Amino acid sequence: MIREESSPGSGSPRSAAAFGWLLPAALTAVATAITVLLVPTPARVPVAVVGAVAAVAVAAIGAVAARRGRVIDSLRRAVAERDSVLAHQASQTAHLAGTLLPDVVERLRKGEFPEDVLASLNAPEAHHAVVRTVVDAVVAEEDLRESAQRAFVNIARRVQAIVHQQAQELREMEDRHGKSPDVFGDLLRLDHGTALIGRLADSIAVLGGTRPGRQWSRAVPLYSVMRGAMSRIIDYQRVELHSVSEVAVTGPAVEPLIHALAELLDNATRYSPPQTKVHLTAVDVQSGIAVEIEDGGVSMSEEARKRAERMLRQAQQGIDLNDLGETPRLGLAVVGRLAQVYGFQVSLRPSAYGGVRAVLVVPQDLITTTATATGLAHGIGAASVPRTTLPPEAVQAAPAPQTTVPPRTPAPTRRPTGPVASEPDPVVVERTPNGLPQRRRKAPAVAPAAPTTPASSTPNAAPEQEPTPQVQPGMWLAAFQSGLSGESTDASQGNKQP
Amino acid sequence: MSHPGGGDWEEASPERLYVITGGRSSTSAPVELDLVTLIVARSRPKPGMQPEHAAIIELCQSPLSVAEVSAYTGLPVSVVTVLLGDLLADNRVVARAPVPPARLPDRALIEAVIDGLQKL
Repeated sequence: MIREESSPGSGSPRSAAAFGWLLPAALTAVATAITVLLVPTPARVPVAVVGAVAAVAVAAIGAVAARRGRVIDSLRRAVAERDSVLAHQASQTAHLAGTLLPDVVERLRKGEFPEDVLASLNAPEAHHAVVRTVVDAVVAEEDLRESAQRAFVNIARRVQAIVHQQAQELREMEDRHGKSPDVFGDLLRLDHGTALIGRLADSIAVLGGTRPGRQWSRAVPLYSVMRGAMSRIIDYQRVELHSVSEVAVTGPAVEPLIHALAELLDNATRYSPPQTKVHLTAVDVQSGIAVEIEDGGVSMSEEARKRAERMLRQAQQGIDLNDLGETPRLGLAVVGRLAQVYGFQVSLRPSAYGGVRAVLVVPQDLITTTATATGLAHGIGAASVPRTTLPPEAVQAAPAPQTTVPPRTPAPTRRPTGPVASEPDPVVVERTPNGLPQRRRKAPAVAPAAPTTPASSTPNAAPEQEPTPQVQPGMWLAAFQSGLSGESTDASQGNKQP
Repeated sequence: MSHPGGGDWEEASPERLYVITGGRSSTSAPVELDLVTLIVARSRPKPGMQPEHAAIIELCQSPLSVAEVSAYTGLPVSVVTVLLGDLLADNRVVARAPVPPARLPDRALIEAVIDGLQKL
């Protein structure tokens, strides 16, 4: 017993703990031995027996207690282990929810392939499965959205095709019934309505992520572009077109610019009192051409203006068709989208008239000279559509009386900036292949010069001398005749087929 | 997507006719204009004019009929009539009928005569 008693002190802590439970039993045994020595002899045997029984009982209790203690220890360790595992998992789940999944979704939104995203993933197997499920869901959703968008665009394209066809036929009818003002007025109204439908279809196409309507292969004068924009809004009569720089817009940018301006004009006319005018101007600026649309309507509050500009910005980052239901000003989303694709800068500012002043800057690389441009404003006669409804004899007869027209004025001088060498001789009389005389007009049919002068002409260029010879009625006639003789017959026939 | 008759469409102009006339289909001209009315410009085109106005004035430096103006500008007669109405109102062109039509008596006068005869 003494050996056992001493052993805890000399042994390792582990063995001390292991045998600590014997200590009470040993003490009881020692106490029993002392008592046996002290009590009178007759009592020694019973005392020794009782002491032995007590020592054994205490030893048994100690053993049980020690065993339980060990069990408790191991359980405690197990619990601690589990706690740490749990904490680790919790942090991983937080990482999955807070970092991993948003990251994956973001990358998918940016257009990365789902396979790449999954492959580059650094996560436990279980999380991988979660991410895979999410990626599948997102991809399915995106596909759905894309197909919905495609459906929109598809429908818009069909409407556009019908509208184009209709507009063309209306123009033919306008030519045919030009002599009866009543029918003509009705046709104009129909034409206007058709143009409005066309703009709506264009808007849907743009929001669907494609380009608006038709394509222009040739440059179009800015003046025509602006009037084209006017022709697509309801209140075009309230728009006052001011001086316009004598420039043209390159073909690919024509339709987007018309559409963006039409949307801005529509906003301007819609949100200003019906009796007020909306002013439309275009001026040269360093970075290109700035088209200004100014209305005298209710001023936008600073907050509303910020909201509108935010919408423009958002649209530039991409549009979710589903969000559009909530935005009443569909137009700004379209403008923002077009601005992003074609590099227009759009800004909305309070106007001096009290309304809103929208400025759209067309970058320099979309601007060209009017030389190659088509469009009514700058090319009356030369650029207009041959009208097959007129009997050719009538048209051919038209220029005949003019063969003897003498030169009326001195040769026109171009603007100082223009190439002087290209100045044509105004008295030249040519003959068409049919032998009909053809007079060259010495001044342009047109306006190009007219609207520009206040804005861009140099002081020493007298307005009267400014006209540039661009359009000649005779040339138009020649074009008309060549059209009739078959050079472009396929085009005009194609036109007539539904 | 393809546009039916797309090639031909390109040659057209983005501006529709109602923008050129400002939505008007008939003229408020003080003078009756028909296809053979001769138009003569009184001045040269002024800067700042609508291109079509300037074009007509340019064309009409020597007398031209309305039909001819319409053919040269490629615009329907009604549009030309409206534009000419504006120019006439501004006194920029003069219109004159080439041959005055035979003067027929007033319809009211004839009716009055018929009434008178019936009363006899």
